[in-house]
Amino acid sequence: MVERLSFEDEISKNKIKSFFLVIVVITFFLLLGFIIALIANPGYFFIIMIFSIIISISYTLFSYYNAEKIAIASVNAKLASPTRDKILFNAVENMSLASGLPMPKVYIMKSDRINAFASGRDPKHAIICVTTGALEKLEKEELEGVIAHEMSHIANFDVRFMTLTAVLVGLVSILAELFLRSLWFSSDDDRKGGGLLIILGIIFAIIAPIAAQLVSLAISRRREFTADATGVKFTRYPPGLRNALIKIKKENEPSQEDRKRYPKAMAPLFISDPFKSRIKNIFSTHPSIDERIKILERM
Amino acid sequence: MALGLIIGLVVAAIVLIIVIAFIYYYNRFIVLENRIDNSLSQIDVQLKRRAELVPNLINTVKGYAKHEKGIMQEVVDARKVLLAAKDVKKRVEAGAELQNALKSIFALAENYPQLKANENFLQLQQELATIEDRIAYSRQYYNDSILEYNNKVEVFPGMFFANLYSKKEKEYLKIPEEIRAVPKVEF
Repeated sequence: MVERLSFEDEISKNKIKSFFLVIVVITFFLLLGFIIALIANPGYFFIIMIFSIIISISYTLFSYYNAEKIAIASVNAKLASPTRDKILFNAVENMSLASGLPMPKVYIMKSDRINAFASGRDPKHAIICVTTGALEKLEKEELEGVIAHEMSHIANFDVRFMTLTAVLVGLVSILAELFLRSLWFSSDDDRKGGGLLIILGIIFAIIAPIAAQLVSLAISRRREFTADATGVKFTRYPPGLRNALIKIKKENEPSQEDRKRYPKAMAPLFISDPFKSRIKNIFSTHPSIDERIKILERM
Repeated sequence: MALGLIIGLVVAAIVLIIVIAFIYYYNRFIVLENRIDNSLSQIDVQLKRRAELVPNLINTVKGYAKHEKGIMQEVVDARKVLLAAKDVKKRVEAGAELQNALKSIFALAENYPQLKANENFLQLQQELATIEDRIAYSRQYYNDSILEYNNKVEVFPGMFFANLYSKKEKEYLKIPEEIRAVPKVEF
């Protein structure tokens, strides 16, 4: 007999884990900055750095404040109608009552594959979008399970969270890049540190962006588990989401056309990885479906 | 001199933390209480909507099953009790009664194929099933909110502030379990 998992414990466990993952990314950033400061002289180099940080932050802020509009436009989704898509609306309204969140805007995107995503920087600007395939193939309880998962992304402020990690990862990359470039231009006299320190710095500058990227992917996978657990809190019916995931698993590999339909940057917000490669590893945005099903079975 | 300054800073920091804790817990309790009140009114909205549909349903059923006066009277009475109930908690109880009575009407429809095929009846059945789902989920959220509030009130250090602001644990909304156990009507 496997020990029964309580969704409350799962939620808090996952939250703590993703918090630590963010700390790791920030530490990378600070460490890299520190090493650079040790090696290079602060000069024109820092001006460029500040400049590029400002650009990347304002770019991210723009996409953050328009997250839901960009998402809808990029998958070409249409607003659902409360009379025609009654089942979908009921499911969303039920989950909005169960979660205590305001009713999000509901969109439908054309795709034969079962999928759904949520976007919006906070619950007031939230949208939920499901595919036509999901509406056709899922039973009421399964659809509710999927919607509950998406509502959890909204409730957990995942758009905000993933934006934050994206910014941090971006900053680490910029910093590393600038450091490596600055080495070409600075003369030996400019440097305070010795040869060994520089080599260490170079190694770290190469590794840090990759490591930060991996950590952010780990965070993304962690958030998926959290959303599953929170979703169960809303429906109190783990088999709903589990059966939906089983149906998703049985679907074929996405066609080339389908792949084009999903913007890569949005992958973390979908309920299942729209690019769905068979290989699940440290480069995946989503945990393996099998693992998610297994956990839901134990709830 | 320096020592005095350090002691002064430490004391100021401690006082600041205490003040923040007082404000934080006060606001937290209010927010949680408001959430509870709000979720209760959500249930209320659904209960009233259900009561509104009843006369329409009775009229439809009457046309096909005139002789089933007993069951219909039950529904009408349950609705009256619900409308007369003074507070939401009473209405929730009456709502459970009404739900039971409605269940017998839908069971009864099995004997009247014409009624079962009536479009108006089918639509009402769907709507009532939807409302039942909503009530169940609203109630769940209400109880979740109570749980969060009670946790804040009972757990250290919240219990200290709860005493201070004389906040007490609240009771969960209890309803005969059978209602939640009813399989949701498929349509």
